[in-house]
Amino acid sequence: MMQKKRKKTKKQLETWALLLPILVIFIFFFLLPLFFLFITSFKTFDASSGIANEWTIQNYVKFLSDPFYLGIVWRTVKIALLTTIITIVISYPVAFHISKANGRIKNYLTLLVLSPLLISMVIRCYGWSILLSNNGVVNNTLMSLGWIDKPLTLLYTELSVVIGMVHVLFPYMVLSIMGSLERIDPSVIRASQNLGAGPVRTFFSIVLPLTLPGIFAGSVMVFSLSVSSFVTPAILGGPQVKVMSYLAYEQAAVLLNWPYGAAIGFLLIFIATITIIMYSKILVRSEKGVAIQ
Amino acid sequence: MSYLCLENLVKTFNKTEVVKKLNLEIKQGELVSFLGPSGCGKTTTLNMIAGFTEVDEGKIVVDGKPVHLLPPNKREMGMVFQNYALFPHMTVFDNVAYGLKLSKIGKSETQRRVLEALEMVRLSGYEKRYPKELSGGQQQRVSLARALVIKPKLLLLDEPLSNLDAKLRQEMREEIVEIQKNVGITTIFVTHDQEEALAISDRIAVMYEGRIEQADSPVSIYNHPKTDFVSRFIGEVNQIQGKVTEILGTHQSKLNFYGNEQIVAVNAMKNAEMDFFIRPENIQISLVETNDRNIGFKAKVERKMFLGAKTRYILKAQNKHLIADISNVVLNSNLIHEGSSVYAAWKPEHLLPSRNVR
Repeated sequence: MMQKKRKKTKKQLETWALLLPILVIFIFFFLLPLFFLFITSFKTFDASSGIANEWTIQNYVKFLSDPFYLGIVWRTVKIALLTTIITIVISYPVAFHISKANGRIKNYLTLLVLSPLLISMVIRCYGWSILLSNNGVVNNTLMSLGWIDKPLTLLYTELSVVIGMVHVLFPYMVLSIMGSLERIDPSVIRASQNLGAGPVRTFFSIVLPLTLPGIFAGSVMVFSLSVSSFVTPAILGGPQVKVMSYLAYEQAAVLLNWPYGAAIGFLLIFIATITIIMYSKILVRSEKGVAIQ
Repeated sequence: MSYLCLENLVKTFNKTEVVKKLNLEIKQGELVSFLGPSGCGKTTTLNMIAGFTEVDEGKIVVDGKPVHLLPPNKREMGMVFQNYALFPHMTVFDNVAYGLKLSKIGKSETQRRVLEALEMVRLSGYEKRYPKELSGGQQQRVSLARALVIKPKLLLLDEPLSNLDAKLRQEMREEIVEIQKNVGITTIFVTHDQEEALAISDRIAVMYEGRIEQADSPVSIYNHPKTDFVSRFIGEVNQIQGKVTEILGTHQSKLNFYGNEQIVAVNAMKNAEMDFFIRPENIQISLVETNDRNIGFKAKVERKMFLGAKTRYILKAQNKHLIADISNVVLNSNLIHEGSSVYAAWKPEHLLPSRNVR
């Protein structure tokens, strides 16, 4: 009995020892700064020192009572949701085909899908801004075809931000959906056909529901990455399409109002967390079997 | 008139013929096992019948209609898979109802038939469970109910018991036969377990290298194997050699085994060496020399193994090994020790002549 207990403690010790490096990084470089950020968000702003030594909830009140700021919250969430939905729609067929390919072809296709991640975020965004600007490839092509008279405003719109985000984030979705497609037992598909279901029916009744966990995992990743992304909206949206991360940056780094920037940052984390929790609740309710699986 | 007819079926994968001109006719209501070692083409043949594997050559006719060009969803066959293949995101009820919902019968009729099917496999009350909440045996029963509820033309079972433990396997196979007989559905049962095949089949098609070696009743397969492969594959056999010493007539020859002569019902040529198979349970041993028709020869007990109901003796006679299984009721195994000399004997009718002509 004693020996068993000792063995158990030793095992626990090993576990913690293995976790130690990541824990140190996580605590000192993530949780602790986050804690200071939280403290800072309840301080008043002082023009000379940035943070004054007085407690207040004014930062939050100011943000949540101003329609301008609330509009930015809505835009941030809207862009993230749109990005998520579009990535799901374009990633599913890609994942479907790659998961059916075999051997070497599969490896090449996977690499191809991952290629957007190999290019620096900033370079990729400037690439898009060249394509989408008033004098860019897209507008020039459309005008020379005679389809439009004057250039469409593509750059510095929500559209351009969404395009840029979809481009960089869809690999996450493809990989995630691919994983769940490959976990489907082929004989389950056969069973469906055997019972009289054609390919379309089999897809919607069997394949799609069984890949919902993959879609969900991909969505959580894409949503949280896009709701908090900074570089893409900064370059492709600019000051015209302000999102929360840009706002927080502006307050903290340009206007040096650290407490207010901290409050915005915290609200952003809050919104992302709430959305993810809601998302998972809906999923669990609609697909009990998958959750059990 | 046969119900299912496989005519000259051929399947080639990567230039290897997996199924070679296979022919088989199955009567309505029959339970036929495909039995063979792995790689013999039994699962490929089943998949061709179900439509999951394309037929390269030949025809599959069910109830007078050729079906080999139809997609699997148009063939109206119920299949039970080795790993059950239940839909993990659906309840037991929805799993069983899946095929019925596609056939567009009414909701109440669907409900009635699903509950009926679940009752048949003794799973009433499990409708709301998910497959993950069921044991392996229960999952297999749901799978059976799901296949039968659509009233298929054929029931196809692909090694349905191989994932279950020994005891449950035996229970399930009896249950499957009972249900199959009650429903009266023509069934193909793929297995590599010969005991299973012998126990449940009306007929067994023993397959080897893409061909059916013999399709016969279990008794015929066991007692009158038509090929050497069937002799060796079904049950256990000793291979022995005899020399023809005298021809007594058509189908009557005298042969010499281990120095003793015996009259065997075979056609032979004088002085020819002939191979025979004999099953371990057909060899008798005794401590004294035996009589009349049974040849008796001296053998040494090399090893003995107690196996419960029987004891297995490894005998050595003229430098060749023989296995004999003797019921412990017939002969008390304590009387025979390793190393002792015994007399071994067999009846000539138990000799299975080898087709392998030397």
